[in-house]
Amino acid sequence: MKVTIKNWVGVATWRWVANDDNCGICRMPFDGCCPDCKLPGDDCPLVWGQCSHCFHMHCIVKWLQSQQVNQQCPMCRQEWKFNNK
Amino acid sequence: MPRSGWDPTEDSEQGTLTATASSRIKRDLMTIFTDPPPGLFVVGDELNLKIIHAIIVGVMDTPYEGGFFYFVLKCPNDYPIRPPKVKLMTTDAGNVRFNPNIYSSGKVCLSILGTWNGPAWSPAQQLSSLLLSIQSLLNEKPYFNEPGLVQEQIPGDSKRYNEFIQHETLRVSVCGMMENQCRLSIPEQLKDIMGKTFLEFYDQYVEIAKNNMHLDGTEMIDPFNKGRHLCHYKNLLLRLEKIRAKVMGKTWNFFKEPSCTNVDLKERQTNEEAKCSSTIAS
Repeated sequence: MKVTIKNWVGVATWRWVANDDNCGICRMPFDGCCPDCKLPGDDCPLVWGQCSHCFHMHCIVKWLQSQQVNQQCPMCRQEWKFNNK
Repeated sequence: MPRSGWDPTEDSEQGTLTATASSRIKRDLMTIFTDPPPGLFVVGDELNLKIIHAIIVGVMDTPYEGGFFYFVLKCPNDYPIRPPKVKLMTTDAGNVRFNPNIYSSGKVCLSILGTWNGPAWSPAQQLSSLLLSIQSLLNEKPYFNEPGLVQEQIPGDSKRYNEFIQHETLRVSVCGMMENQCRLSIPEQLKDIMGKTFLEFYDQYVEIAKNNMHLDGTEMIDPFNKGRHLCHYKNLLLRLEKIRAKVMGKTWNFFKEPSCTNVDLKERQTNEEAKCSSTIAS
C-alpha cells in the first residue's frame, strides 16, 4: 500500500523540566502559573537555586524581598543563590 | 521580621488577601480535608477566608488525652510569605496555662510563628505542618518543653505537672468545652466532631477520673503559672455523665450560647470573599 501525505499539521506540547510537580511556595503545579499570572509560559518562568530547588520566579522573588537578611531557600534553608547555568 | 503582635483576634491588618494567599489557604485546607492528620480538625471561617478554626484533640497516652483544644488562626494578606497568627481559645478564659509554650493568654510560643527563637517561618510550611507542630507541644512530658529544663527542679515535678494538666484537660478542655463555659463561637462542623470524639473517649475520661479520685481535695501547683487549683475529680465525673446523656440523647448543643464572635466583625470581609471560602468545601 502506498500512502501519499498531502498535508500535515504539527502539534507540539511543552512542559517545564523541574524536579518537583508543584511550587513549594504557592503550591500550584509548575505546568500552570503562579496565582498572580493568567497564562503559563515565558511570562511566569521557573527559576532554580544552587541548592537545586525550583520555584515560580514571581513566588521566590516575593519571598526574598520579604527577607532583609539571610535570604534562604524555603525548602532547605540554605542560603539562596540563583543558579544561572 | 518584626511582628506586630501575635494575637489573631486583635490583629488590625485590613485589606484583602493576594491571589497567591487565597489560593494557598484553600489548598492548605484541602490538603487537611483530603488527608486528615489524626486528631486535627479545621474549618475555614464562613465569612472571612483569612480566618481558620482548628481543634486539636489531645493525643492518647499524654496528659492532654481526649481534650479539645480550640485554636483560631488568621493568615496575613501576603500568606505564605508570613505565618498566620495563632491563639489557643481553650484557656478557661485566660486562667489555665496548658503548656510551658502555650500561655494562659492563648499565645503559642513557636519559632515558626515568630514568637520564639529558632528556625523561622518558611513559605514551604503550611497549615497542616503548623498545626502538627502545635500538636507536638501537647506531648507526654510537657514539663520538659520549658527551655532550659533538662532536669526537674524538684524531683517529681514532671509527674506533678502531668497530674495538673490531666485534671485541667478534663475540667477545661473536655467538660468546659462541651458545656461551652467560656461562650466561644465554635463553628458547627467542629462542634459535631467534638460530640463524636467525646463519645469515643468517654470510657477513657471516666477511667482517668476514677483512677485519680483519691487526689480530690489536694492542691495542684502549676510551676509555670501562679494559679493554684484543687483537684475535683468527683465533680468532673458527674459533669461527664451529664454531658454524655445529652450527647447520646441528641439534646446536646452547647449548654451556653456564644456571647460574641471570636474575631472583630469589622474585619470580616465582603460577601464575595465569603463565597470563595464556601467553595472550599465543594
